[in-house]
Amino acid sequence: MMDIYREEILDHARNPRNRGKVADPTFEFHASNPLCGDTLDLQIKMQGKPPKVSEIAFQANACTVSVAAASMLTEKVKGMTEKELAELDEKDVISWFGGSLTTSRTECALLPLKALRDALKGGEEK
Amino acid sequence: MLDVQKIRRDFPILHRKVHGKPLVYLDNAATTQKPRPVIDAVSKYYEEYNANVHRGIHTLAEEATAAYEDARQRVAQFIGARNPAEIIFTRGTTEAINLAAYSWGEKFLKKGDTILLTLMEHHSNLVPWQLLAQRKGLNLEFIPVTAEGYLEDPEGMIRRLQPKLVAFAHVSNVLGTVNPVQKLAKVSHEVGATVLVDGAQAVSHLPVNVADLDCDFYAFSSHKMMGPTGVGVLWGRAKILKEMPPFLSGGEMIREVFLRESSFKDVPYKFEAGTPSIAQVIGLGAAVDYLSELGIENIRRYEEGLLEYAFKKLEAIPGLTIYGPRNSGDRGGVIAFNVAGIHPHDLATVLDQDGVAIRSGNHCAMPLHAHFKINASARASFAFYNTAAEVDVLTESIEGAKKVFKV
Repeated sequence: MMDIYREEILDHARNPRNRGKVADPTFEFHASNPLCGDTLDLQIKMQGKPPKVSEIAFQANACTVSVAAASMLTEKVKGMTEKELAELDEKDVISWFGGSLTTSRTECALLPLKALRDALKGGEEK
Repeated sequence: MLDVQKIRRDFPILHRKVHGKPLVYLDNAATTQKPRPVIDAVSKYYEEYNANVHRGIHTLAEEATAAYEDARQRVAQFIGARNPAEIIFTRGTTEAINLAAYSWGEKFLKKGDTILLTLMEHHSNLVPWQLLAQRKGLNLEFIPVTAEGYLEDPEGMIRRLQPKLVAFAHVSNVLGTVNPVQKLAKVSHEVGATVLVDGAQAVSHLPVNVADLDCDFYAFSSHKMMGPTGVGVLWGRAKILKEMPPFLSGGEMIREVFLRESSFKDVPYKFEAGTPSIAQVIGLGAAVDYLSELGIENIRRYEEGLLEYAFKKLEAIPGLTIYGPRNSGDRGGVIAFNVAGIHPHDLATVLDQDGVAIRSGNHCAMPLHAHFKINASARASFAFYNTAAEVDVLTESIEGAKKVFKV
């Protein structure tokens, strides 16, 4: 099967890492994909000096691509500073799918990263 | 009886391959493919008589105007409109409904009036009325949908709510339900309501005769009936259209213009401001000829048979849920479904690898999906050039997707 549904991706979609909620989040955002009505809630807790991601979790009602991307993204960003989070590149996320994403499915893959960026921008800063 | 193999040769695109597999195009509710005569009519206009309409005196302008007006006549005849002036060319169904909302709605509805819609409307027959209701302080009410996908007691609701406007889809773009236009128009008129029908999913699939349906407005799109994109139609009763103010304004629609006021042409030109989609209208005329030659009754009979076959094949797949009426006689060529454990987007991506084009998402009907408590669905939608063999490819591909996702 194509790269987009290779075993690693399917595993992340079936057994998402960091699924759930964070108590007392520093940032959070509710994102939706207008193409399909999928939704994703992302919560981040920053702690320490300088503040770094100590906890991150998401809840999604979404497709394999969005859920797998959220699972992989949340794994990757633990321990990052706010500056490092802001510098995350869309190209990295897209590369996880081996360059097999069409334009419409790229939207699915980027939903978690967009949620993260909107959260940082003060979507729902607490 | 339709000779489908012969028909397929008329559609150049049906011979292309997608990911190395023959294209199986099952997204006809989104847009249909175009037969050679439509493509040729558009090219011929550009190659031989491209000119603006209703303006010039020269030969090309005369020819273009004649072809444009000829298309209007053929469209009128195709939907049983007595008067070609009742055919207003718009950009599509969405613009046609907006025209009715802005022009008729602004003039004839007043604060406290009720608009009755249904829960199965495409956003294009919902949002224009929402905005109108917000502007004018109108009530919006909705006829509910039963678990089987039929309207629930529509006549009772019309009698009870006494709306000023009843607007609904002829055929639902998700459930496929064919709504009883004639029956609802009769009750609506009894309570003094005006009736607008969204015919986008009906026109190339069912016989449509606006005189028999007895509605007041009927809106549809060229590109869902084998014609080009960029053109649609609002049919309205001449008597009502004449009383309506212009919607868009500018060139083409005026009689005399002074610096501080203007007078307008009669229908339909009053509603066709600016240079219209000339090539596309001419292409729509060719599409109407093509459909008429095949015969809408023949098309309907063939599509019903195909739908019945698709039902049997899809129902045999464990974990697959179909939405909407089971009786193919009550359905247009649309089957929305879900496969347990596979998101519709993922299903569409896997099917695409097999050359099968379906739609996934909420099909511009979010409230209906919310009603069925789903985010999204997959949708296979048929046209008369689809075959039973293509349905087999669809079902085999769905079985393949189940293996990929281990469900």
